[in-house]
Amino acid sequence: MKLFVKIFLWFLAAVALMVCVIIFVTRTFQTDPMVSRTQRSTRNQMQIYGGTANQIVGAEGEAGLRNFLARLRDVEPPREVDLVANDGSVWFGESGDVDDSRELISRTVASGAAETDFSSDDRSVASAPVVFPDGRRFVLVLQWERQSPPPLFWGSTLGYLRLGGLLTTAVILCYLLALYLTSPIRRLREATQKLAGGDLQTRVATRVVRRRDELADLARDFDVMAERIESLITSQQRLTRDISHELRSPLARLNVALEIAKQKSTPDTAAILDRIETESTRLNEMISRLLTLAKLEGGAEDIERRRLDLAEIVRDVAADADFEAQAKGKFVEVSSADSCDVMGSENLLRSAVENVLRNAVRYTDERTVVDVSLSRSNGHAIIKIADHGGGVPDEELPNLFRPFYRVGEARERKTGGIGLGLAIAERAVSAHKGTIKASNSNGGLLVEITLDTAPIAD
Amino acid sequence: MDKILIIDDDEELCELVSEYLTVEGFEIACVNDGETGLERALSGEYDMAILDVMLPKMNGFDVLRNLREESKLPVIMLTARGDDMERIVGLEIGADDYLPKPFNPRELAARLRAILRRTTIVEDGDEGQEKLDIDGVQLSPASRVAVRDGEELNLTSVEFGLLHELLRDAGKVVKKEDLSETVLERKLSPFDRSLDMHISNLRKKLGARGDGSERIKTIRSVGYIYTVV
Repeated sequence: MKLFVKIFLWFLAAVALMVCVIIFVTRTFQTDPMVSRTQRSTRNQMQIYGGTANQIVGAEGEAGLRNFLARLRDVEPPREVDLVANDGSVWFGESGDVDDSRELISRTVASGAAETDFSSDDRSVASAPVVFPDGRRFVLVLQWERQSPPPLFWGSTLGYLRLGGLLTTAVILCYLLALYLTSPIRRLREATQKLAGGDLQTRVATRVVRRRDELADLARDFDVMAERIESLITSQQRLTRDISHELRSPLARLNVALEIAKQKSTPDTAAILDRIETESTRLNEMISRLLTLAKLEGGAEDIERRRLDLAEIVRDVAADADFEAQAKGKFVEVSSADSCDVMGSENLLRSAVENVLRNAVRYTDERTVVDVSLSRSNGHAIIKIADHGGGVPDEELPNLFRPFYRVGEARERKTGGIGLGLAIAERAVSAHKGTIKASNSNGGLLVEITLDTAPIAD
Repeated sequence: MDKILIIDDDEELCELVSEYLTVEGFEIACVNDGETGLERALSGEYDMAILDVMLPKMNGFDVLRNLREESKLPVIMLTARGDDMERIVGLEIGADDYLPKPFNPRELAARLRAILRRTTIVEDGDEGQEKLDIDGVQLSPASRVAVRDGEELNLTSVEFGLLHELLRDAGKVVKKEDLSETVLERKLSPFDRSLDMHISNLRKKLGARGDGSERIKTIRSVGYIYTVV
């Protein structure tokens, strides 16, 4: 799940939990004391009612008491008033009314003081002992509807409005908070992807730096890291370039000196001088390819782009490669070449195809054909170059495009490869935002170059 | 004896090249910076110059640019290996040929001879070289002057040679192999793009026809054709 959604939901859950806790706490720590206060005052009131009843029955007799009890009924809120004898008979009121209150009555009888029962949610019952002048003992029972405060969130329009308002506020706040926390992370991620994609100048701090928290620190740390990576990579590239550049001068002198030596050579030294020349040519080739590679890695952005027909390049290079291959008893065949326009640098694309193709020619077995095809599908041009040279172990496939990577030491030496061809092809293809991949197929290596085709010209 | 001027800041290399080319029958002078190089190249004493790109005081391109304002002295540029831009720029400014450095001195000698042979034909006044006048382009091999619509084209010796071959067979395909052997005086090797580069420069200098069509067309993998309307 996305971090944003996670944070959002967690905050929302936290807010909901908080609301529940608050409601619970208010109930237990605020409603209950209120109830017990009411109970106390009710008891006092009942004590007074009981006392008054005692006096009235003494002064005005039973008729006066009935009169008083009837008046008690009319006091707000409307109450049921019953006077129950200690033996359980109802002296005043409806006999059924007090059936639920027997326990309270016996409690009152036992304590001889006013008692209350608020345990029911909607009914309150209070009682007080009453003693007639003739010594008969009664219990005065008052029952009334208790008015509990209206529920906060449901049962009324106001309640629903309150609930809605609370929810909306919670959602908005959680959304903003989640956004606040995740947006710098998203930016960091974009920056990391850009950096990984090769844009070494990527920095994030300018966009996150207004904050003063761990995320801002992280952004700054990222920048320090990016800075370091950039300087490491550029210095490494510069080193490769400089070494190759610097090596050229002594090599140029070596070539000339060698040729002078050959002018003066005797038959027995000629062979060894030829050997030296072979090696120096190889060194030449290696340096020139290293320079090409360094150049491609250094400034892939500023390549010139023109509309080109890939088919022409493929046919051209294949014809040259075939010419070269035939000298070794191998062949290059173009099985299909649909016309495909791409935007790119002719030199780079040519060298990409050339390097892959020459590699294939080098490794394909004698008297076999290297098959080249160019096809287009869904806005992509796909060049496939397949040889018949036994392929390479699957686990080595991803390493093929690394400079100087050798699949088999002996094999490479024998065939005279330098180990840079595929690396150059890979850099040239990625400079065009294309992909190149290798796989084993039909007893040989299959290299696939995929490029975006150019939009249809007007 | 042909006098060659080498403009390269690597003194040791200059010494070695002088030694080699002297044995091969050339007379050599060396200078190590661009300014002096330009001065000497303009002096008119030399038949040809070998020019390095990386030079102190004035780089090879600037030397060539200044030189071409006044002189048609044949120039071979020594460009950095693996740097396509350098040789394209070099040929565009008017180098007759280029050689990636480090180079094989035998090849250098061969190219010197090829270019010298082309440029000295003029003085020998070869009779087989009659004037050509096709499609508004006049070519006089004797003076090595090419004119298009009354305007002189500034062609290098290689470009002139290529145009000459193409015009002589105008309307017919001239094979790459033949062009390479007659004009560059070397066998066409696979993956060698220098012929295409010379042709592309020649095309730029020649310009398209009034209706926008190219004068020189490429026949892929075969050669070139000077189209006739």
